[in-house]
Formats: sequence, C-alpha cells, structure tokens
Amino acid sequence: MGREEDIRQAILDYGSKGAKTKFYFKDMLAGVKKTIPDTGASEVKGVASKMIAEGILEYFSTGSSTMYGVKGRGISVEKSGDAGG
Amino acid sequence: MGIPGKEKMWDKEEKEHRKYDDVRIFTDKDFNNYTEDELKAFKPKHATPMLDELEKGPWPSFVSDLKREALHRHKVGQDNLLIPMEAVDDLLGVVELSYKEGETHWKHGGIVGVLGYGGGVIGRYCDQQQMFPSVAHFHTIRVNQPGAKFYNTDFLRAFCDICEYRGSGITNMHGSTGDMVMLGSTTEQLEPIFFDLTHDLGNDIGGSGSNLRTPSDCIGPGRCEFACYDTLAMCYEMTMAFQDELHRPAFPYKFKFKFDGCPNGCVAAIARSDMAFIGTWKDDIRINQEAIQAYVADKIPRDGGGMAGANWGPFNIQEEIIDRCPTGCMTWDGKKLSINNPECSRCMHCINAMPEALRVGKDTGVSILFGAKAPILEGAQMSVLTVPFMYAKHPFESQQALARKVQDWWIEEGKNRERLGELIQRMGLKTLIEVLGIPAMPQMVKEPRSNPYVFFKESEVPGGWQRDIGDYRSRHPK
Ligand code: SF4
Ligand code: SF4
Repeated sequence: MGREEDIRQAILDYGSKGAKTKFYFKDMLAGVKKTIPDTGASEVKGVASKMIAEGILEYFSTGSSTMYGVKGRGISVEKSGDAGG
Repeated sequence: MGIPGKEKMWDKEEKEHRKYDDVRIFTDKDFNNYTEDELKAFKPKHATPMLDELEKGPWPSFVSDLKREALHRHKVGQDNLLIPMEAVDDLLGVVELSYKEGETHWKHGGIVGVLGYGGGVIGRYCDQQQMFPSVAHFHTIRVNQPGAKFYNTDFLRAFCDICEYRGSGITNMHGSTGDMVMLGSTTEQLEPIFFDLTHDLGNDIGGSGSNLRTPSDCIGPGRCEFACYDTLAMCYEMTMAFQDELHRPAFPYKFKFKFDGCPNGCVAAIARSDMAFIGTWKDDIRINQEAIQAYVADKIPRDGGGMAGANWGPFNIQEEIIDRCPTGCMTWDGKKLSINNPECSRCMHCINAMPEALRVGKDTGVSILFGAKAPILEGAQMSVLTVPFMYAKHPFESQQALARKVQDWWIEEGKNRERLGELIQRMGLKTLIEVLGIPAMPQMVKEPRSNPYVFFKESEVPGGWQRDIGDYRSRHPK
C-alpha cells in the first residue's frame, strides 16, 4: 500500500475501533502515529480533509471545539457542553 | 477591491462590484409591508409577559425588534420564505420560557456544516420542538466580515436578503470575533446559503470550533491617521494564507489573529487574540511645537473635540499630558514640549489628546504578542509581548512564518481544548521564545517596565549564578 493508503487505514482503524465515536484531531494523530511513527500533523490533516470531502469522515462540532468521527458512527447532536463560542 | 493584481475571481469576471439589484430577493414593497398601527395590534404567536417588560425601559429593546420582524415575516408569507415563517414567533416563545424557568432550551453542536468545512456553522436545536416547531433547527452561520467591517450598502442589503429568505431574518452585527452572524436557519439551507454567499457576495463563511477564527482588523489606514501598518492588507493576506486552518480544524482549540494599527487597540488584539499584531514605531514621536502652542492657548480642542461637552475647563498641558505620561518621559518648560523617546511605552495618551501636534513616528511596523483569551475555560488572560518590533511589508511573509511556527508548536504540545496562552503559561515563556528562535529581550515584560521575566540559562551568563558576596560587598557596601 502507498503511504496515503496507510494513513487512511490507520485513521479508519483508530476511528472505528475505539470506544469513543468522536475524537479530537490530536488523539487521532497519536493513534495514527502508533502505526506510522514518522507522520506528522499536516500530513494526517491533509488525508483526513480528503476523507471528509469523500464523506468517509465527518466533523462533529461542540460549538467551541471540533472533533472528527467516522461517518454514521455515534450520536449526531451534542447534548451538552459550553454554549457555542 | 482587494490587493491590486490579486482580485477575487468574482471581481475579475464581473469587472465591477455586484450590485444589489442584480441579486436582490425582495422588493422595496416587501420591506415596507406593515404599518405602525398594524404593529400595535399585532399579537405574536406566544404571549411574552416577561419579555414585554424589557420594552418599557429607556433604550430600544431587542424584543421590539423581534416583534417587528415576526410581523414582517407574517406579511411576507410562507410562500416567499424558505424556513418557517413563524421562526421569530417561536424564538420569542422559547426565550420567554427560558426567562420563566431560568434554564436554556437550546442544545447545540453536532454534524452540520457545509461540505468540506469544519467550522463556521454552529448547530443549534430547541429541546421543546413540539411547543416551538419553527425553531426546532436554528443554526448559526458565521460569515467572514470584510476587512475592518468595510462593506457597502449593496453588500449589506444582499446579505440581509439571504438572511431573510433562507434564515430567520435575524442577524448579529457583529459577533465578538467580528463575524457577520446569521442567526437561525435549517440544515437544508446551509449549502444554498454558502452558495449565495460565495457566488453573489464574493464572501465566505468564518471560523468556529477548533479552527483559526475569522481574523479581524481595525479600520487602520482606511480612515485612521494613527495606523502604523496596513491592517486591512495584513488581515486579508493572513486570512487567505491560513484558509486551510480557517476551514479545516486540526488545532487543539480556537486560535485568533487580530490586527490593531496602533496601541489604541480598537479591535482589542492585546486582550482577545492568541496572536496579536499591534502597530508601533521605532523612531521618535513627531512633534509640531506650533500646534502644541495652539493646544495650550485652547485654540485647538483637546482629544479631537471628543471631550468638548465634558466641562473640563481650560486645557492644562502639565496636568493633562505631562503628569499623566505613564513613564514620566515628557517635559514642558512653558514653551517647548520634549519627549525622552527611549522611555516612551507607546501608550498613545499624548497623541490621542493632541493629535494635531503629536504623531506616531515614521519608522513603523508591528509588535507581536501571544496568548490572550477570554475567560471561558480558565480566567481571562492578556497577551505577552514577544516580538517587540517587526516590519510589516506586503505580503507579510515574516508574520506568516512566525504564525506557522507557533501553531506547529501548539499542535504538537497543546492539550485538547488548551489555548495557546495556557500552553505558554504551562511551559513557560522561555520555552516559547526558544521555539520561535527569538532571543530574550528586555522589552519582553509582563507589565511594561515592572515585571521582567528571567530568561537566561546559567551557562549563558558569564560566571554562572555563583558570586563572591565578599567581593561584591567590597564594591557595594551595605
Ligand atoms: S487601533 Fe489605532 S490605527 Fe487602528 S483604528 Fe484604532 S486608533 Fe486607528
Ligand atoms: S505615548 Fe504615552 S508614554 Fe509615550 S510620551 Fe506619550 S504619554 Fe508618554
């Protein structure tokens, strides 16, 4: 597999298998780094952005911060948290 | 519009500004569709006795505005609106209920947005959807305000038409980050709103969530003689250079750029932005001694006439200017004003009070500060002066490079939901300047001239920390 495919797979593995269905970018990056230690924030962000555009991942907003999730997995509306901002 | 040679696509295609008449949705008749008598007789869908109290005070009330808008929407009619006509009625109802109960009925966040964008839309839902069905979905859309909030009436009218047609018609001009905020729309309308904003207005959605937030700048050289750099150009270029950060979140939390043209701080960069750019000068304050004499003789009103009604009596240069200079660096001998410029902390007091006599220097640039924030998670924090002076030349590559360095460090080291200022506090200013490759300087003080940080490592100081006290006392008796 090419490097991008490896990162895609690592993102998917991280996003599909954990208990948390929504996760911060930083935690996803740490998850990807476990299998691909030499990657970095901008590379993972680039691949994740593509996966968002393709509808594989989706953003999940709490208003003041944003998380990532595998599309369709978990809740779709935040029930609590700080009000916007 | 924009930087010459860098016009936006829609400017190039159109060769001129889009006129309101080309994109308008409503007619003049639609805007004047009720009489004041009709308004008096109008009963919104829900009774709002508590909100009605707010209309009785001396100031205009948002409740009165909402009632006007509710009536206006009834008269426009559901056939001409794309979200529920009664959205404003139901909004009044839900606000009344919250006043009564002292609890909010909004929940927020979730998966709404436009494709590919991870910010700018804040999902908002009412938890009393049976009672208030028209605001069941009531999302907020942040629209990137034009630089320094300069817009013409064509732009503003077209914006308001979109708000009315595809939203509740309510706006917040402007949000505290500076955005033009559309309050209340449905999920189905988000993509069409985005299309209209980009195609009809040549505009974009702003930031929210863990993104770069919509950068904001003061009016700068557009109108203000104090501007030490082109705030409009820098805000525009930084917004364009950081598009990916603005729309695709990968930061630990929010990040704000703000651009103030001088230390007066009209967009409060020093207090409200993670990276603050504040105009400053290296050389001397320019003094026109003749104009000073005119102020002293009360021929020119102080503060540009701003204090004319304040009954302050005749202008007293000693009391009002010299004695109030925070660094005590000014003198007045009865004829001539002098400034010991190396001691001036750029507080702007004297320049604001006598703008015809005193001007900022000519060798201008920006000071860069890091780490301010409002009190959401931890307490409020002011930013820390980190780069005392940098030239600010278009296309502002040095500023971009510095911003990327600090953001990379924050992405690497910051905890989830930790603002840059909190990271600096946790790791120390010393770490920040090491990361940025900036030497420690006396100007890096928490409060001007009072609280210097100690930056030096022992190995950097000749002789280290050890001193022979006897030797010292031989030269400095107690
Ligand atoms: S911050 Fe300074 S330059 Fe900008 S508008 Fe205010 S006074 Fe003028
Ligand atoms: S700007 Fe402020 S510190 Fe500087 S000379 Fe004027 S009053 Fe003093």
